[in-house]
Amino acid sequence: MNARRRAILSSAAVAVLACGALHCSKTDREASAASRIRTGGAPAPGGELVFGFDGAAITEFNLDPEKSAFAPHHRVMRSIVDSLVAALPGHQFGPWLAKSWEVSPDGRAYTFHLRDDVAFHDGTKFDAEAVKFNIDRVNDPKNALYALSDIGPCSGVTVVDPYTVRINFSAPYSAFLANLAKSSLGIVSPTAVRKYGDDFPHHPVGTGPFRFRSLEPAVEIALERNPDYKWPPAGATHAGAAWLERLTFKNVPEEATRVAVLLNGQANAIDLVPPQNLVQFRSSPEYALVEGELLNHNYSLYLNVKRPPWDDERVRAAFRDSLDLDAAVKTVYLGTLERAWSPLSPSIFGYDKTLEHSWHADRERAGRSLEEIGWKKGPDGIRVKDGKSLTVVFVDTQGNREKRLDLMTVLRKQLRDTGFDLKLDSQPSSAYLGKVGAGEYDLVAGRLFAPDPDVLRRIYSHKLKTAFGVSKVEDSVLEALLDAGSEESDPGTRAAIYAKVQHIVVEKVYAIPTYVLKYNVATSQSVRNVAIDVNGFPVFYDTWIAQ
Amino acid sequence: MTRRILERLAASVAVVFGASTLIFLILNWLPGDTAALIAGEGATEETLVRIRAQLGLNQPLGHQYWEYMTGLLHGDLGRSYATRAPVLQELAAQFPSTASLAVAAASVAIVVGVPLGVAAAANRGRVLDHIIQVVGLALNSIPTFWLGLLAILLFSVHLRWLPILGGRGVLASVLPAGCLGLAMSIPVQRLVRSGILEALQEPYITTLRAKGLRATRIFGVHVLRNVAISTITLVGVLVGELFSGLVVVETLFARPGLGRLAVYAVGNKDIPLVQGAILVTSVTYVVVNLLVDLSYAWIDPRVRLASNGDA
Repeated sequence: MNARRRAILSSAAVAVLACGALHCSKTDREASAASRIRTGGAPAPGGELVFGFDGAAITEFNLDPEKSAFAPHHRVMRSIVDSLVAALPGHQFGPWLAKSWEVSPDGRAYTFHLRDDVAFHDGTKFDAEAVKFNIDRVNDPKNALYALSDIGPCSGVTVVDPYTVRINFSAPYSAFLANLAKSSLGIVSPTAVRKYGDDFPHHPVGTGPFRFRSLEPAVEIALERNPDYKWPPAGATHAGAAWLERLTFKNVPEEATRVAVLLNGQANAIDLVPPQNLVQFRSSPEYALVEGELLNHNYSLYLNVKRPPWDDERVRAAFRDSLDLDAAVKTVYLGTLERAWSPLSPSIFGYDKTLEHSWHADRERAGRSLEEIGWKKGPDGIRVKDGKSLTVVFVDTQGNREKRLDLMTVLRKQLRDTGFDLKLDSQPSSAYLGKVGAGEYDLVAGRLFAPDPDVLRRIYSHKLKTAFGVSKVEDSVLEALLDAGSEESDPGTRAAIYAKVQHIVVEKVYAIPTYVLKYNVATSQSVRNVAIDVNGFPVFYDTWIAQ
Repeated sequence: MTRRILERLAASVAVVFGASTLIFLILNWLPGDTAALIAGEGATEETLVRIRAQLGLNQPLGHQYWEYMTGLLHGDLGRSYATRAPVLQELAAQFPSTASLAVAAASVAIVVGVPLGVAAAANRGRVLDHIIQVVGLALNSIPTFWLGLLAILLFSVHLRWLPILGGRGVLASVLPAGCLGLAMSIPVQRLVRSGILEALQEPYITTLRAKGLRATRIFGVHVLRNVAISTITLVGVLVGELFSGLVVVETLFARPGLGRLAVYAVGNKDIPLVQGAILVTSVTYVVVNLLVDLSYAWIDPRVRLASNGDA
């Protein structure tokens, strides 16, 4: 064992030993920007990548891309299924299973010209009928598939000829191409769906560079190279079959164990490296690290605007003014993540840069404002009005995933200084959904993975609201903007609409965005070219192992 | 003897039945809508109604209970709400890992705990006794999670002797079984020590001494046999607990197992799966206790003779 590895090992031990906040002296932001993944040497086929991923401590692998809402499952699915179009940097789209496409002038019909040389892993031919089968399957509410929200106002699919398919909408839907590029609308084999029925999530069949071999519930998913693959997405660095012979996903839910399996060589790649180890992996020559922003509605705190005193915008503003997010995010994530300024993560189309540095902690203003409304500090420092104390109940179900409870604990302390009493109420997911549905909370928090600003409509639209929506906002101005944004096809106008939306959400304190998540993969140095796609999901098609 | 076993079995069936009924009521009383969890956050009311009908959740509670119990008598544990797979199949996939880990941990606990207890008793009040007690106290105070993490860092990362991943493989089970077994060995060691010290005070020991029996024979045959009964009872209880309390170790070592399955199922209100997991746990408890009972007869001649006398 050499000095580097020992340094990482001992730092892991220290991080474990020092349960409190560990401040790193220097954060290397430049290194994160230019992820140091090695690309030198000539790629050679063969070898196995054992990927220790955070699949959470759950026992079911749901590998139906159109059904699963769980990001870790999509990290697996991305290697098994292909999409019609590929998302490229700069909000552009390139060909994948579709060679080209046209959008009708009214924005209600998308016509795709498909490749005619593609086959599913089970031998089924990929054609317009297969695409129709997939979209129809998603569009049928009886199937209750997660991808239903990705196709918006879809009204049906027309097979024009064997390799031309038209997807129709009842209203223009500008988010469609971005959603289509996600693995949740990855194309699966109609034959396999019919054959396996309810058991399809355990026998996924797509057209991707890797095909499914076997799974052991809760433990591992084994994939192998698809030797016939020759239809990579735009942006891939080679053509033909993937380099890796085998790709094995091992579910290692505990972060310290994930780091340990990379260090002891049982895995040659892991994901979601905890902050305390990121700094070392970045600077070690024996390991490489790729990081990529996850396109999403940032993890945000949603104030229940239907419940007093949160129906008063001034109380919400005082709540936000009490939070020093810069300090909290830095303390909890050790400088490895940036704080958020907008509900949208920075690389999503329409992100409004002018929000950056536009709002900060201001405890004095918070205190003044609360005094004016009549919330006076009681003997224990918690404010009281009309015999009621200023208590905020935060209902949660995710536990300390991504150190979110650590973050809330820091915020709790900050809120106490201005007289708020934040209570953390952790519930199993069933009870959590019950409370959210019934509106029995002051504060909930969450994120939503999405490649397009239309995600804002899914969260803040009152019209689309489901019983379990996290935001209870009812705002007609916001509603009109969200509808307009969804239908607008001119990029400039569309971006301007979403800038207004982001400003409203922040100014009216409908939500308080917290941090910008980066997905990361650490590999041993022999692993080359692990990529993170535009949406923030790992891609192993171009990956190879140096001898 | 046979009658004793039959009596025990009858009582066991009652215990399992009671546990199933209780868990059915508690789960249904817990807040939360199963259909909402399955449908996801974007579901419409129409979808929820359809899912409830599909799962039989719209039936009255009494009817649901009747369905469950009759299914149980036919050996049908139902299907998981979330995966639609038969519960029996889901449990069978997780059971071997949990069982092998529990048995291995219990073996470690006995192999480590009994000799240490004997050594401590034999050296009562001396340095060795103190060392064993202090180390035991320390080990007892360390959570298994923490102990496991340190063991991983030392044996898997630093020395590279043992793998971390490997599911049910023997080598991959050494660390989790070792950590659990060490933690379990502390109560065993204490019980053995105090049992021996207590037994040595008994009048029959004096009698045996007076008869001129050698000290090693008194200790090896008479004292240890006395201590064995309480020790086996304790190990039985601990093994039963292991079946329900392995979730932390399973998560740390990325192993499959009943603990993770049960916790996940409870969180998702997957009632058939929780019931199945609890059923397996209660049946295991009952079987272990039965074995413990039978071992009494084998160890203790009084039990054996009493039951023979009945027949």
